[in-house]
Amino acid sequence: MKLTRRDFTVGALIAAGTAGMPVFVKAQGTKTVALLFDSLVSPFWVSGIEIMRAKAKEYGWETLENISDFDDNKQFEHVKAMIGRKVDGILIIQTDSKAVIPAIRAANEANIPMVHFNRPPAESDAYSVAIQADNRKIMADTVEFLVSEAKKLGGKYKACLLIGDLGDVNAIQRRDGFFDVVDKNTDIIEVVARISTEWNADKAFAGLTNALQANPDINFLVTSSDFMHPQIEQVLQTAGKWHKRGEPGHVLFGGFDGDEGAYARLKDGYLDACGVQNLFLEVDMAFQAFKDMWDGKKPAKLLLDPGFVITQDNLAAKQEEMWGYVVWKKQNGG
Amino acid sequence: MNTVDASVVSMPRAQAAWKRLLLSEYLVLVLTVVYFLAMWTIVPEIATLDTQLDILSAMMPLLVVAIGQTFVLIVAGIDLSAPSIIAMASVVGASVLTGDGGYASGTGFEIAAGILAFIAVGCAIGTFNGICTTRFNMPSFIVTLTTMMFFSGAAIWYTTVHTDASSIGNLPRAFVAIGQDRVFGLPISLAVVLAVAGTAHFVLSRTVYGRWLYAVGLNPRAAAVSGIPVRRVIFWAFVISGMCAAIASILYTGRLETGTPVLGQRILLDVVGAAVIGGVSLFGGKGKILWTIFGVLFLTVIDKSLQLLGLPIASVFAIKGSIILSAAIIDAVRHRLLVRA
Amino acid sequence: MPENNSQPLLAAEGLCKSFFGVEVLHKVGFSLQAGRVLGLVGENGSGKSTAMNIIGGVHQMDAGRIQFDGADYRPKGPRDAAKQGIAFIHQELNLFRNLSIAENLFITDFPKLVPGLPFIDRRAARASAAKLLAAVDLNLSPTTVVNRLSQGERQLVEIAKAIGGKARVIIFDEPTTSLTTRETGRLFDIINRLRQQGIAIIYISHILEDIMRLCDDIVVLRDGHVVGTAPKSEMTIEGMISLMVGRRIDQLFPPREAPVTPGTPVLEVRGLTQHGTVKDITFTLRAGEVLGLSGLMGAGRSELARILFGIDSFGSGEIVIQGTPVKTPTPAACMDHGMAFLTEDRRAEGLMMEAPIGHNIALSSLQTYASGLAGVIDRTRLDGDIAKISASVQIGARDIARTLVKNLSGGNQQKVVIGKWLLRAPRVFILDEPTRGIDVGAKNEVYKIINRLAAGGAGILMISSETEELIGMCDRIMVMAHGEIRATFERGGFNREEILRAAMWDGIRNAAQ
Repeated sequence: MKLTRRDFTVGALIAAGTAGMPVFVKAQGTKTVALLFDSLVSPFWVSGIEIMRAKAKEYGWETLENISDFDDNKQFEHVKAMIGRKVDGILIIQTDSKAVIPAIRAANEANIPMVHFNRPPAESDAYSVAIQADNRKIMADTVEFLVSEAKKLGGKYKACLLIGDLGDVNAIQRRDGFFDVVDKNTDIIEVVARISTEWNADKAFAGLTNALQANPDINFLVTSSDFMHPQIEQVLQTAGKWHKRGEPGHVLFGGFDGDEGAYARLKDGYLDACGVQNLFLEVDMAFQAFKDMWDGKKPAKLLLDPGFVITQDNLAAKQEEMWGYVVWKKQNGG
Repeated sequence: MNTVDASVVSMPRAQAAWKRLLLSEYLVLVLTVVYFLAMWTIVPEIATLDTQLDILSAMMPLLVVAIGQTFVLIVAGIDLSAPSIIAMASVVGASVLTGDGGYASGTGFEIAAGILAFIAVGCAIGTFNGICTTRFNMPSFIVTLTTMMFFSGAAIWYTTVHTDASSIGNLPRAFVAIGQDRVFGLPISLAVVLAVAGTAHFVLSRTVYGRWLYAVGLNPRAAAVSGIPVRRVIFWAFVISGMCAAIASILYTGRLETGTPVLGQRILLDVVGAAVIGGVSLFGGKGKILWTIFGVLFLTVIDKSLQLLGLPIASVFAIKGSIILSAAIIDAVRHRLLVRA
Repeated sequence: MPENNSQPLLAAEGLCKSFFGVEVLHKVGFSLQAGRVLGLVGENGSGKSTAMNIIGGVHQMDAGRIQFDGADYRPKGPRDAAKQGIAFIHQELNLFRNLSIAENLFITDFPKLVPGLPFIDRRAARASAAKLLAAVDLNLSPTTVVNRLSQGERQLVEIAKAIGGKARVIIFDEPTTSLTTRETGRLFDIINRLRQQGIAIIYISHILEDIMRLCDDIVVLRDGHVVGTAPKSEMTIEGMISLMVGRRIDQLFPPREAPVTPGTPVLEVRGLTQHGTVKDITFTLRAGEVLGLSGLMGAGRSELARILFGIDSFGSGEIVIQGTPVKTPTPAACMDHGMAFLTEDRRAEGLMMEAPIGHNIALSSLQTYASGLAGVIDRTRLDGDIAKISASVQIGARDIARTLVKNLSGGNQQKVVIGKWLLRAPRVFILDEPTRGIDVGAKNEVYKIINRLAAGGAGILMISSETEELIGMCDRIMVMAHGEIRATFERGGFNREEILRAAMWDGIRNAAQ
């Protein structure tokens, strides 16, 4: 029993006949922006997309979303689909800085502005704008605060740094920011442990445990990302070194990112300072870049978010700007 | 129509037509067209020529993998290692090709050497799968699951040995063209895939090996008693599947201009799903290249339409799941009709 | 003597049933009395199974009525039928093989520790299971897992289950197909005992000798019609056969068309031994000869055939096919030397049930029709030859290229397997139970094909459990027991009793000790 070719042709003709139906017409003058994420696995990205949706609504823009689930090829398909939808701008968070280049070229060809959020692409002849936190400076400022605290308290310090994945530019920049400051203060700080975590919480746990066994007197700790806080807390607690500020045995502790866990530990007095990526500002900068490109301007390929350091001193004044605080407030029924 | 059975004639004409459609091997294609028309009213962009070409080029690599998978499914096996073959071939091939100190870079025959490297990786992993399944009588599910895990890891390791970054870029333009460029408005990848599909169709329908594949899938014991080299037949199915995954890797790598160890990590379900939706049986003995093509087309059109819609992720999964579920229900109904007919 | 009053326990009249417009039962009626055995015979597809499935609650009748114990009987399903006292013992037994005998016996109705609560009283279950097993002479612990039982023992468990369910009617569908002679004898003893206890039995079988031996009344079906009903005393095997096929078969076994003049040896086996299966097998099969291989189940006949065709390996000995010694036989190597092998289990090893007839016939010959490096099949030539073969073995199907084998009757399926091998024009053909489970008409056709092959100069090694069949067909009969050839009989010297005695030599010897 087969469908013959003739049946098929008839079907196709009928289909073609019904195809001239009225379709949804896009409201005139409205801008549409595509938000292409590679995942929503951490609070940073979830907060990011929520802020973007809200901001776009405020501007009266429409948003389209696609999540590639770390699949570079799928994300390329997403970009092409968005070009097909003739969107006015594409905001992308790619997985691989090289594999995204064909997507940038495709956007260039279609004359659609493209903005990379938080992760810049690899060098290429294609044009796009990347918004990135000024990791090195933010980290340096954070460590600067810790050093000033150390000086206030007096004594010598043994320091430990949790480093990210060295394949990631962000991780390298944060490491460099740390040493920019520490190298100038070798009189009171000696770095006894550098733990390569490869952005893996389990490795962070194991590495820190080993470091504390080798140097039980570590009293100055900086992490390249806040998502490792729970592991750090656990290891320090086991070693009997988890104490609030002002209590004897407190480890000077600096973080980076500014997530809700970091806020909670700041508030409770365990964390001394945290370098915050200014997510709100970064979204503003990304959207401003779209506006500039629509106006025919050509912003620089890399725009830096200066970020800020939130410390025990400025917590009350700055917390509203900290994205982690917003998440925390929501989670705690604020 | 060359055969009409009595029960169909005795039914009212409309009902008979529905039944005929439901039983047709073009059902999945018809469903795709119906879905496409429904989507047209919501996202008119789906009907533009550019989108059509996008669908075509998005289909291509997936289709090659699915064709390889069809061979393995016909002998009642499964090849879960396809994604890791794609990834491993991608980084090995790229390490040969790359302008940043690739093994064959600047030799003048880097393209040929690179393509050879891709295919060699595919055949090697396929051979390993085939040997383990046939010589040690291990279930293909376990064998290919472990090769998948091993080579996913090996691909990352291989990358770290060759570069500080997470991927290998700077591939020669001539290679990239295979995945990206169009000739006379049609993707070059289309020609590659047509060649693969045509060969596969020919092998399955016209050659002794093709008939043997089905026989082994339908009843391996009867096949063995009939003098068919059952192990050899299964072995080659895995090698073919590995080679197809390697060809897909060439297309993917060319398209992204990058050899990356996480390439294609998520396509396994799409590959097996497409073949099964098309009508290939997971229990062996049943499958056609045409069916697989329809299955891949169906999934790609759904994917593309959802991408165009740009909805938040939760609703995307819900929609995709319900579409595939309805297709499965229709297939179940059709199966019941077939059994009765 | 069991009571024999005129009031039937179960009476069916005017049963009609159609599947998709095809009528399979047409006004079928019969009656069954307590304490009697009703034999139901007919070719495959004559409607026996459908009629029994209606009584067993598997199918619903379209028209007609059934009276059971004086009341209208219309079961809603198999469970309902069982509850009302009708047990159906299917050809493929319905036991859970990974459970114990006791668990199987009480799977639907375990004795409870406390009535109404779901706690199983294992001790009570074992005790009543032991009682039921004693009733069927099965000397096994109720905790034995069914997997470890022989086919015959499993059947007895099924019967025990029926007795435990207080069945008043027990239906047997081809119960002896996979039983040894001894197990068959035991089964008949138990059926006789059940009859004496006043249970009514319906017994379906192809083996007409068994029907004559066991049944009190006989009903013959053909194409969904009852074509004969009579007490045993008024029925003969010849009479049943002619009723079943609708024409008189003067001779079930067709005469050899050509005079038998054994030619050159086509298969020589010397000292073939494989530990645990066959021991020191030596024989010669000549061109044009039909050599029978008799013996009980488990005597090593099928095992020998599988070794000869290279499916299983052997320890020592020599196999020479058409003058060429085959050192390491494989199916492919044996086929190259002109051997063919029809396995005893055609579903599991002979056919692709889900594939069309044509593909099945082509299966073992594809390379003959292929050319080039790619092995492209010459479909015109292949299809032509398939058509010729299927015509010569008379497969009853309209569309050879499309009809799936699973939709064919047993007889036609067997012809497909034979056709598959005939396409290779074999010189040595091993047939393992070639007529098992096929109807009388098809059997006759298979016999004719065998004769034709032999007349064409092929040597045939025919394994069969039906001694009558071997006596009717063979030039020589070898009898195996315990992996050895115990006796060889020449045509003219065939004697049913002698053959049986040779096969059961051990049994007799053991009994004498």
